[in-house]
Amino acid sequence: MSRRWLVAFAMLALLAVGLGYYALHLRRKVARDAQFAAEQPIVTLAANGPPEPVILYVANDGDGTLGKTTVSVVLPAERSERDRAVLRTLMTQYLKAGSSHPIGEGSDIRQVYLMGDDTAIVDTNSSFADGHPSGVLAEELTVASVVLTLNANDNKIARVKILVNGQERDTLAGHADLRRFYEASNIGQVVKDLQ
Amino acid sequence: MISRFPLAHRRSRLCLAVGLLAVSAIALLAYRVTANAQSSEQLTIYSPQTTYTIPLTTANGQPYAGLVDALEPLGSIDARPDGKKYKLRFTPPGGRAVEAQFNEGKEKGKVLGENLKLPANFILQNGRGYVPLTVLAEVMSKLLGKPAQLHPGARRLFVGDVVVRFSLELDKSNPPKLNVGFSVPVNPSIATEPGHVRFTFHREPVISSGQDTFKFDNPTITGATFSEHDGVAELDVTATAPLLANFADGGKTIIVAAAPPPPPPVATPAPTPQPQTPAPAATAPKPPSIPRFLVIIDPAHGGADSGALITPSLVEKDVVLALARRLQRELINRGIITAMLRNSDVAISLDQRALTSNAARPALYITLHAANTGRGVHVFTSLLPAANLSRTGFLPWDTAQAAFLDLSGVAAGSVAAELENRKLPNTTLVAPLRPMNNIAAPAIAIEIAPPDETVDNIASAQYEEQVAQAIAAGIAAVRSKLPEVRP
Repeated sequence: MSRRWLVAFAMLALLAVGLGYYALHLRRKVARDAQFAAEQPIVTLAANGPPEPVILYVANDGDGTLGKTTVSVVLPAERSERDRAVLRTLMTQYLKAGSSHPIGEGSDIRQVYLMGDDTAIVDTNSSFADGHPSGVLAEELTVASVVLTLNANDNKIARVKILVNGQERDTLAGHADLRRFYEASNIGQVVKDLQ
Repeated sequence: MISRFPLAHRRSRLCLAVGLLAVSAIALLAYRVTANAQSSEQLTIYSPQTTYTIPLTTANGQPYAGLVDALEPLGSIDARPDGKKYKLRFTPPGGRAVEAQFNEGKEKGKVLGENLKLPANFILQNGRGYVPLTVLAEVMSKLLGKPAQLHPGARRLFVGDVVVRFSLELDKSNPPKLNVGFSVPVNPSIATEPGHVRFTFHREPVISSGQDTFKFDNPTITGATFSEHDGVAELDVTATAPLLANFADGGKTIIVAAAPPPPPPVATPAPTPQPQTPAPAATAPKPPSIPRFLVIIDPAHGGADSGALITPSLVEKDVVLALARRLQRELINRGIITAMLRNSDVAISLDQRALTSNAARPALYITLHAANTGRGVHVFTSLLPAANLSRTGFLPWDTAQAAFLDLSGVAAGSVAAELENRKLPNTTLVAPLRPMNNIAAPAIAIEIAPPDETVDNIASAQYEEQVAQAIAAGIAAVRSKLPEVRP
């Protein structure tokens, strides 16, 4: 290779490395800003009043079952906020140290949207899906516990769809189908099988 | 004017564009300077047990083959890097274990304790060992204790006495016929175009009979050419008239003959009004296809999609591919026809898996998964409400499986019973798993979890074999209850 080619090669390499580093820096900054905006807590209506019983369907990876348990939580009055608070209580169970069904750190419910009386759209944050353990049974347990917990505490909800960061996603962590609406009655069969 | 993008975005895009140009220029230069490049070539391996393809990679200016890819379908293999060393232990079915060892960056290795000179350096990529393609036949021959012959230009490797030769015999009667004879039944794909009929042998180890070009002293069928390339064999028959091919002698003979000329036009009287009657059934002389019991095996994930991280060094895509290969062998041993949706580390989309499976019209679709949660084997059918849909017409894509749930349940129950018989912990469940919902055939999913507290045991040869045997026995037991399907 001639000296001219070598000089051109070296200059282009330096230019590429420098620009690449700067582009990477800017890209990370934009991603950080977007993440920060996404993770900002959505304004939550104040919860007043006495604690109320909340039914949770809690998954157990050890034996692959869903167990029913009741906890007391102060819930907001507004219906979609109540549903979100119920699911956040469920997430708290999974995020505890020594959880029977650990999920990704920072998992949260961004919002629950109600469509009509019977349909709920649960918007989770990206940590929920990106950090979720991958596996058919592990993912199914999560989906089933979300759907049944919602239905148990707001029994008008018969259909549930899960979004991630406001977007539709193919699967939760490579297995459970997130493109579809889940029928609470259909998931009930899963629980019978699991118990 | 108000920009739609923040300043950081625009600067980032400008930098990326300039950077990409610079990188492209460097890549072009680098390509000219170095000879190393990745390729998407494949090698077809024919053995008495099975025919399969493995990906080839290019390094040091020549093709390399992965040892695990090449040997895994033929027996049990335990291979792991140990620093710069790569140790391999291979056990053929019913045989004794044999060992080989290679060193990264060295041109020599040891197989069965004997030194082996490699034509180029042994390489390790992502913990997998690769040898130059030209030495693969020698390595496999020593490890398998059988002769192995490589046709390097054609990317075909023959293990053991598997080759099939052909003979050509021209019958000069009118119309002339060319009889192509084989020692075993064959099933090539056939393509016709003006002046040619081409037979492509994808799975049959057909090789040249010593002569590749044939000229016939006949004005209609003028010649034939045999060739091998890209992992297939091809026989091209040339003619001056359109040709037709028919199978005879149970698939051992293909008869190529000139197509009959179209009937001369016949003057017909003007049609007179007739009362509407149902059209008679078509009577085209199309040979009926034979119903067969085909099982599609779909090892999940692949390529960039590794699936679950079972341990820091073990990913789901590798575990399920190994299990799928064992399952395929077990099914073949039971006389069941199988097809694998992937037999190497390639990415296939969920929709593509369903499309390919549905096009093959299987009697059963089985997808394999692995996870480190829970114990034993989970057997799943699709989480869909049962629907009273006809299985013969068009089905809705998202819920195609609903029409087959009863048969899927029968298959799942049979597999679970065989797992139980072998005292393997198991659970039968329904699951919202893609692409099972899109499969227009009985379909089950198997997820294997570790057999005990030691997660690494999920990939142990003994456990894989027990699970594969149980699944295969379950499928064989239910064969009479699942309808065979015409291709």
